[in-house]
Amino acid sequence: MDFLANLAEGFIGLFNAGGATFMGLVTGIIPTLVVLITFVNSIIMIVGEEKVEGFAKKMTGNFITRYTIFPVLAMFFLTNPMAYSFGKFLEEKYKPAFYDAAVSFAHPITGLFPHGNAGELFVWLGISQGITELGLPIAGLAVRYFIVGVIVILIRGIVTEKITFMMMSRKEVN
Amino acid sequence: MAYNTIRIEKGKGGWGGPLVIKPDSKRNKVVSVTGGGIDPISQKVAELSGCETVDGFATSVPDDEIFVAIVDCGGTARCGVYPKKGVYTINLTPVGQSGPLAQYIKEDIYVSGVKEENITLAEEGAQVTQTAKSESTSSIASKSSSNGNGNGNGKSSFIVRMGKAVGGVVGKFFAAGRQTVQMVINNILPFMAFVSMLIGIISESGIGNVIAQAIAPVSGSLPGLLIVCIICALPILSPILGPGAVIAQVVGVFLGLEIGKGNIPPQYALPALFAINPQVGCDFIPVGLSLGEAEPETVEIGVPAVLFSRLITGPISVVIAWAFSFGLF
Repeated sequence: MDFLANLAEGFIGLFNAGGATFMGLVTGIIPTLVVLITFVNSIIMIVGEEKVEGFAKKMTGNFITRYTIFPVLAMFFLTNPMAYSFGKFLEEKYKPAFYDAAVSFAHPITGLFPHGNAGELFVWLGISQGITELGLPIAGLAVRYFIVGVIVILIRGIVTEKITFMMMSRKEVN
Repeated sequence: MAYNTIRIEKGKGGWGGPLVIKPDSKRNKVVSVTGGGIDPISQKVAELSGCETVDGFATSVPDDEIFVAIVDCGGTARCGVYPKKGVYTINLTPVGQSGPLAQYIKEDIYVSGVKEENITLAEEGAQVTQTAKSESTSSIASKSSSNGNGNGNGKSSFIVRMGKAVGGVVGKFFAAGRQTVQMVINNILPFMAFVSMLIGIISESGIGNVIAQAIAPVSGSLPGLLIVCIICALPILSPILGPGAVIAQVVGVFLGLEIGKGNIPPQYALPALFAINPQVGCDFIPVGLSLGEAEPETVEIGVPAVLFSRLITGPISVVIAWAFSFGLF
């Protein structure tokens, strides 16, 4: 009998621990998140997509802004997955590189701007929760995640662009 | 070739449908966007209806030639993209209205959790569903502020205009709030529930300690993270690991737990964020490119180009992140 009782206690203990975690996530993360996302969504609605598009198009001319500011704007204003529709402003040969850059920013953006990919927050939240657990601030990590994200998407854009060019010219030869 | 009307019902735990649909001479391609070749469900749909199957990862098909798109989306992106474009969508994963494009996922265009036995020939004279390509425009909010001077007769116009402008802005704030809460309910809370369950079971049952002993030495060093990254970036694996970023998120939660317990030093947090995620979006390349209105030839080249690029840029990103961690904690 005691054995069964212990078993039941252990079993329910798993879910009590889970419930406590859930409570922590809901009260610790959601309130700020809701207000922040509402704020950013309002800004996006007030600015309007047309103005963003007009500005973004100017960023496609050179390779640095094409794989930094352009995808960052796309992810910020259109969010995942509609951000990739900004590819339509580019020539065909740049589209794979742009997609690569934009999609690679889908998680680095969530540290500072969770609205950008609110469905996949736990890449960032999972790891940053560990830092919070240690009693360390996460703001610095969020900023660095963003900055390294921008550097990485620039590199990805350039590398993928080169690979695309190579494959396209090889295909033309054949 | 003669086309047949087919009936697709939702499977166990599925959502949406039933769809009763018939291809025509233009919309006659079954596009399998599931990664790893043509899915058996696509095959079955094609056989019954008399269409041809196309591997959505290898070739791109113009939207107006797609009879039905077959996806295996965990609930973020692909399940909403095709309904948004007005294409009938079969999701093999039992997912309902979810993701940022949840508003476009409707019963008359989308059906999920579909297994082979759910696809049948429709009986004679069945009513064919008619929704594909009925463009749904829901941009009411953005228009409301621009019609301020409609009935402007002198005196009242300023107040009327101001009232409308304020109303417009408030309306936008409200719409933003509603969109946000919807997002929290549809996407964030369910994932939190899943993560909490996982954490509860792992930390209380003692499995956590076993996993920690396996993971900690690997993730607590730069070479270890590089190995993780290269494995995730392998072109065979990356499209499978991608969907919904579920793998990256679960691994993120794991590593977070270990960092919290002190098994992994906190300065490895930043490189880890990149090491567990070189596969980001690899499952979504053809769809993402077609969102950018890429030609089919571009998609054919784009998919391998991005996959191979990740093998190079993945490890680079870890090293950069590692270098940027100095002085952080």
